[in-house]
Amino acid sequence: MVRAREKRRGLLVAFEGPGGAGTSTQRRLFKVWLEQQGHEVVTCKWNSPRAIRGLMKARAGIHSLSAEELCLLQAADFRHRLETQILPALWQGKSVVADRFLFTSLAHASARGLDLEWLLSAHAPLFWPDLVFYFSVSPTTSTTRVASAHAPKFYDAGQDVTNIADPIASYRRFVGRMIKEYESLSFIFQFVTVDGEQPIYEQHRRMRRLFEERQRQPWARQNMEAVVEWLAWSPAAAEVRRGASIPG
Amino acid sequence: MARQSPDNGRLIAVEGMRGHDLREATADVWGRLAARKVRGGISAWDASGIFSELRVEKRRDLALSPRTLVLLYAADLVFRLRWQIRPALDQGHVVIAAPYVQTAVAFGAAGGLSRSWLTKLFAFAPQPDACYRIKERGKASRRKGKRLDGYVEFCVAMLADCAISVGPSDLRRKTVTYLAELEGTGRCPRLTKRAISSLPA
Repeated sequence: MVRAREKRRGLLVAFEGPGGAGTSTQRRLFKVWLEQQGHEVVTCKWNSPRAIRGLMKARAGIHSLSAEELCLLQAADFRHRLETQILPALWQGKSVVADRFLFTSLAHASARGLDLEWLLSAHAPLFWPDLVFYFSVSPTTSTTRVASAHAPKFYDAGQDVTNIADPIASYRRFVGRMIKEYESLSFIFQFVTVDGEQPIYEQHRRMRRLFEERQRQPWARQNMEAVVEWLAWSPAAAEVRRGASIPG
Repeated sequence: MARQSPDNGRLIAVEGMRGHDLREATADVWGRLAARKVRGGISAWDASGIFSELRVEKRRDLALSPRTLVLLYAADLVFRLRWQIRPALDQGHVVIAAPYVQTAVAFGAAGGLSRSWLTKLFAFAPQPDACYRIKERGKASRRKGKRLDGYVEFCVAMLADCAISVGPSDLRRKTVTYLAELEGTGRCPRLTKRAISSLPA
């Protein structure tokens, strides 16, 4: 059943990068363009399911989370988002643009000093996007753009790691570590790097070209594993199995 | 993973499927230890309040898979280790963790998760000095007590509406089978009066 549906599934495109890299702007532009190309598109954002986001928000607000707790809650949030938002949409033939996917969680946790191997197993089975755009910016650009909008929150600024009271100063130090981790992940997992310091439309054009050049690949083994597990347990899967047909 | 606590503290894991049974047994054990002037305490599940908050939030659309529920248990256990277990061990106290790792592993395995993934996930938790199992009274596949009394009961209740491949009674039975197998290997013997009397003073 999974193999048969695999040919008609939607595509998953992930947008990754540190704060101020422009992922949200590019995601919006890309979504509009994809829709113009005839795709039915669903957007999903980091920390979006209400249930687990609430758990994290309450604890983050009082700065009570350790690096491991934060990572495990993010892993639970990722799994819940995958099972309730991403997989149902892909199964129904819709394309999903993810404004930050699991790699942001990995980069943040690695920057907090957690072991990458353990992080990968906490997020297993990994679900591989069809395309990962990594928006590369310098620590200075990221800090300037983030600071111009608002002061970053405690954990976003890495204040739990840096112990710096000023959120902007903490972010400036922490983002350097995060970018290093993103770059390692980009090398390991072969992200498509987009220069986030280029003009917005230049970036968008490059993304369109890269997307059009990309050959559609069958799901990797770990993706199949995640889908089979979702089909076995998720009520959302039960609904789509019961009769929702692929649009179009 | 090797014990990361000083030698003078002792960590005792008590595993079991039913929250009520676990609470009763650990209170009994702790009563006996306290009578011997042993210092320490009990660390129970949901000390972080994660599951209580989910219970309050419980809505029709809040359906969590076995993997998500195990990840949340791991987050709760990190909290317990950080605020309850490690500080007590550092002071040389005895801590009874009820449940500890194996109950969650048993539930995860019953839910179809691979044992190697479960082992890797809980690698952060120090090995207990001793691990005991509470045998369920009556038929293991039957629900007993409040629906959300213990971790496994909470998870089974959460999954009751969405378990396609394994039903609630099967989940309970498989969880108990895992714990019984663990007992069979000698890694998690039954908690008996004799076992209690041999606990450290």
